[in-house]
Amino acid sequence: MFKRGAVKTPAVLERTHEQEQLSGQLIIQAAGIHKTYETGKVTVQALRGVDLRIRRGEMVAIMGPSGCGKTTLLNVLSGLDDITQGEVIIEGAPLHKMSDKARTRFRAEKMGFVFQAFNLLPVLSAVENVELPLLVAAVNPGVARRRAQEALALVGLADQTAKRPAEMSGGQQQRVTIARALVNIPAIVWADEPTGNLDSETSASVMDLLGRLNNEQGQTFVIVTHDPAVAQRADRIVRMRDGLIESDAPNHVAK
Amino acid sequence: MEKLFGVPIDRLMLSLLVVFAVGVAVMAVVAWRNQVVFKMAVRNIPRRRAQTILIVLGLMLATLLFSASFATGDTLTHSMRVEAVKHFGLVDVIVQGETRDVGNRLPSFDQTYAGRVQEALAGDSQVAGVAPLLQERAPVLAPGTRLSEPWVDILGYAPQSMAGFDRLLDVTGKEMALDALAPGKAYLSAELTEELDVHRGDTVQVFLGPQPTPLEVIGVYVKGASPAGERSLVVSLPYLQTVTGAQGAVNAVIISNRGGTLEGVRHTNAVVSALGPLLEGSGLKAEPVKQKALDRADREGGTFATVFLLFAQFSIAAGILLIFLIFVMLAAERKRELGIARAVGMQRGHVVRMFAFEGATYSLIAAGVGSLLGVVVGWGMVRIMAAAFSQWDFHLTFAFNWRSVVIAYTLGMVLTFAVVLSSSWRVSRLNIVRAIRDIPEPSTSRKSLKGVIFLGLLVAGGALLTVWGVQEEQLGLYLLGASLIIIGLPMLARRFGLRDRIAYTVAGVGLVAWWMAPESWHDAAFPFLPEEMKAGIEMFFLSGIMLVIGGVWTVIYNADLLLNALVFVFGRLRGLPPVLRTAVAYPMQYRFRTGMTLAMVSLVMFTLIVMAFIIQSISGVFADVDRIAGGFDIRANTSYTNPVPDLRVALTGAGGLRPDDYTAIGGITAVPVKVKQMGIEGEPVDLMVSGVDTGYTDAVGYKFAMMAPGYTSPRQVWQALQDEPGTAIVPTWMVPTKTNFNVGDAGPALRLEGFWREDKVLPEELYLEVQDPRTGRTKRLRVIGAVEDMAFYVGSITTSQSTVHGLLERAVPPQSYMLRLTDGVDAETAAKALKAAFLENGLQAQVIATEVRRDTSASLMINNLLMGFMGLGLVVGIAALGVIAARSVVERRQQIGVLRALGFQKGMVQFSFLLESSFVALLGIGIGVGLGFGISPQVINSFKESFEAITYQVPWGVVLFISGVAYAASLLTTFLPARQAASVYPAEALRFTE
Ligand SMILES: Nc1ncnc2c1ncn2[C@@H]1O[C@H](COP(=O)(O)OP(=O)(O)OP(=O)(O)O)[C@@H](O)[C@H]1O
Ligand SMILES: [Mg+2]
Repeated sequence: MFKRGAVKTPAVLERTHEQEQLSGQLIIQAAGIHKTYETGKVTVQALRGVDLRIRRGEMVAIMGPSGCGKTTLLNVLSGLDDITQGEVIIEGAPLHKMSDKARTRFRAEKMGFVFQAFNLLPVLSAVENVELPLLVAAVNPGVARRRAQEALALVGLADQTAKRPAEMSGGQQQRVTIARALVNIPAIVWADEPTGNLDSETSASVMDLLGRLNNEQGQTFVIVTHDPAVAQRADRIVRMRDGLIESDAPNHVAK
Repeated sequence: MEKLFGVPIDRLMLSLLVVFAVGVAVMAVVAWRNQVVFKMAVRNIPRRRAQTILIVLGLMLATLLFSASFATGDTLTHSMRVEAVKHFGLVDVIVQGETRDVGNRLPSFDQTYAGRVQEALAGDSQVAGVAPLLQERAPVLAPGTRLSEPWVDILGYAPQSMAGFDRLLDVTGKEMALDALAPGKAYLSAELTEELDVHRGDTVQVFLGPQPTPLEVIGVYVKGASPAGERSLVVSLPYLQTVTGAQGAVNAVIISNRGGTLEGVRHTNAVVSALGPLLEGSGLKAEPVKQKALDRADREGGTFATVFLLFAQFSIAAGILLIFLIFVMLAAERKRELGIARAVGMQRGHVVRMFAFEGATYSLIAAGVGSLLGVVVGWGMVRIMAAAFSQWDFHLTFAFNWRSVVIAYTLGMVLTFAVVLSSSWRVSRLNIVRAIRDIPEPSTSRKSLKGVIFLGLLVAGGALLTVWGVQEEQLGLYLLGASLIIIGLPMLARRFGLRDRIAYTVAGVGLVAWWMAPESWHDAAFPFLPEEMKAGIEMFFLSGIMLVIGGVWTVIYNADLLLNALVFVFGRLRGLPPVLRTAVAYPMQYRFRTGMTLAMVSLVMFTLIVMAFIIQSISGVFADVDRIAGGFDIRANTSYTNPVPDLRVALTGAGGLRPDDYTAIGGITAVPVKVKQMGIEGEPVDLMVSGVDTGYTDAVGYKFAMMAPGYTSPRQVWQALQDEPGTAIVPTWMVPTKTNFNVGDAGPALRLEGFWREDKVLPEELYLEVQDPRTGRTKRLRVIGAVEDMAFYVGSITTSQSTVHGLLERAVPPQSYMLRLTDGVDAETAAKALKAAFLENGLQAQVIATEVRRDTSASLMINNLLMGFMGLGLVVGIAALGVIAARSVVERRQQIGVLRALGFQKGMVQFSFLLESSFVALLGIGIGVGLGFGISPQVINSFKESFEAITYQVPWGVVLFISGVAYAASLLTTFLPARQAASVYPAEALRFTE
């Protein structure tokens, strides 16, 4: 059901076709990224010239000590935040030159997010949370509901669709978030410490899920994590320190 | 104002101050003993300045409404006092005849009484002056300018006795010598000379009888003639006595107490009782005129303030809900903080105290701001009222009494604080774990025994109240008691597993149906009900609150159905579904907030709509001028000093008039009498009895609300008035009704007893005993009709002219006339011609249509003002929406970040917020309008029972206007928070934890 072409909406079909063409190419190109936070008196240099290239379908783990700039990097790559200097090109489009409006549309069409704090809307049920990105993409509400239910089934929550976040466990909530991140088949999924709040067992099952989706659908995953066990499942591990990339190596242990 | 709710204002202020002081003292002691908690509480206030301002503004609204109501009352009191003081000057007490003559003229008595009064009061240090006075009211004409003034107070002063009274002052402030008032000379008031366009040295004519008395104007005073109105003139007493043929007679002895105009009043009682022995049995009385006028001013001011409060009560109720809401929101915001504090060992009591301290501080500030701002609002309202009152020749000058401000402050403070305390208690009951994890509190635990017992008692109490209401024939008690059952039973069932939606819907729909059901339904459903139950003004408030509770419950527990329908309808529009989804999910989840806001908005909207219906339907009454006028076109009054004995005859002789223009001329003789209903205990009441001639009864078109048995048509009753001596008709205000919506005391008046208006037919035997106070002669009058409400020009008991003559044992000419014009004759022209032709008689002619229109426009102004005042309550509902929206932006920052990450454009976030408050605002407006439309037919019907001419009309324009304004205002207040929400920066917001 998450296989390419399974969706009949023209906009989505168009995109999968485009993805096919670009397959094997670079999806993320970042060069010389600087990010400076101005907070009153102090200026924090969170990123100090980061270069990063990620290929389509790769699963990349970003690691590093607290405060080294991982979240910041994720935010600027995904267009949630502006950069001070440098350039970010996603699928050939220069993100750093886009208006807020264009970037937002870009996000809606091409990206999915999984955050540490689960970031579900507490007033919506699981299925309503999941279908939200589809509604934003103007998918027919009936179709959206069906696809959201399928996505929840995929993450093993077929029987929890009507529950509100407050009525679910941390692991369940995180799986809802993943379903939401994947429901509109984004090209890139950004995950900031997706297992940060979970015990090792649950964490492992969430990672299994991510790995499986990556395998089956060939989406690109960028995962920030402190957990070596999580990082071990990635194709590639990027290590950061003080706003710079310290090392960037393929992970031979993977899978 | 000196009295409010019937309690002297000083005592009210004192008791409130005591409550206030005790409260503050208790808080101070508690604060001193819990200094840490106190500091924690107070620290919150400057921390978030914008929020503090918002809270203070929210809390002050109830106080503002108190204060503004009081300011209107104070203004009226002040203005009436000014008028009283202007009229009476230094005169405090007047010795005058116990009764009045025809035309309301004071009877005369021997001048030597003045000397005797002086003797009786000699050596009384409280008296500053005693003087004989002859006063008349007569038309004055200036032959030079042909201008005239029909009502001028003519004062005959005894120059040597006027020490201790006001001195006549000219425009330069110089005293004018009374000795200069030789026979034929007069001082005129500045207003009178302006009116007549005369100056020093000119001559004016006074019509103290059929022949004019020429007077030379030898001076103009700007103040000092009392007791008198603005248009007055002063001559010497002996001269006035000569001219009126009343040698050695006066009709008043005026007494001035020691002390200024207002201070002197204090001695009034002493002076009056000192004169008791002298006046015993003399047919004279010592009338405390100024005291009475001041008392009346105070009473009317109090009534006025009460009316405004009455209309403000819904807004005040909404204001209380707002205070509650604000504190619960404040608590929600601090939930996590409080949860952690509780976790580390803060006692529940500490939490209550902390909130109480903080709330007390806000209340202190808010009540201060509210009471002062209320004075400003009051000032604005007075400006509008002043314009309305100027139509009735009454000058309103703004005034406020610092004691009212203190009362508004303490009342507002005590009320606010009471609400704050109860909400603090609610807050303290939060569950620690849920608070820290920010999980919403579940709705009340279902099967707690306490809850079940409470609900059981509620139902039982309701049943008792219902039975009691039926026994006492009190509609309010009966409806309220049953309402408790209607609420209690579904709530009990809910405790035993009935779903919330069903329980609240049953209770809500039940309440609405119960309070909207017409009387006929209640009578049919419950045959044991008494035929007519008593209902008072409290029904207004009670039904409003109950309907709104019912409406809000029903809507809020079924809104999701409405929503699904909305989503279904608008779901196809591009871009709308995700926005709609979020916009609606929040208010549905936060039921408490939404419910409170809905209640506030709908409560105020409901009252505004009902008010609009009432105004519209009543104003329809005034459109039918012909019916109000009873078929007449002009009403004319003449001076009692020089009446027109027979207008029809006089018309023929007068120049410039064509008798053919007048198709009917009715004469009315009004005489003062003492009246009581026969067979009923009680003191007789001073009233006027009108005797009408055949010219009147043949032409009048008024119908009757009630007729005596045997009379089948209005014509028959009017004819009987002439044909059967000793019959009378009464105006409807004398007839008792079971529904009584009167506010305040209307003063002494005659209320008949032993039957109800609702009976439709008068009792066979209904007699009045009228007494001529001059002679003591009594006469029995049989009441054969109660004239319809539309008969505005039947103000008192009416009988035939010959019956009145019989009572007085002499013929008295009519003082007023009702005239009907031939078709095509212009009423204004005719009225002018009449005035000109009968200048000497002081004839005043009023075109009835003009008069009705003027009164209508003035009362419309007052009605609109009242509506505007009620509309202030909308501010409350709108403020609630604003507060919630502002709070939501903070609360949902992170969620907004998520939405933005998911692809919500800025505009979508903003739209979602606006949609959210629109949803609540429109629901609130909808409930209010719906309930208003639902209940209005009944309200209008109940008015119809006591005022049959009222017709049901839908005020479409006003409804649309009010709804539009309310909605626009709600959008405006949420616009800023929505903008803020849209500009939330996703990367920051996602990091944000509260
Ligand atoms: N809005 C901000 N204003 C100022 N400084 C910021 C802001 N956001 C982040 N920083 C600083 O930028 C640096 C990088 O922060 P970032 O959140 O990217 O770290 P991180 O690697 O994700 O750390 P962690 O593993 O703890 O999540 C830190 O020093 C942080 O203090
Ligand atoms: Mg981080």
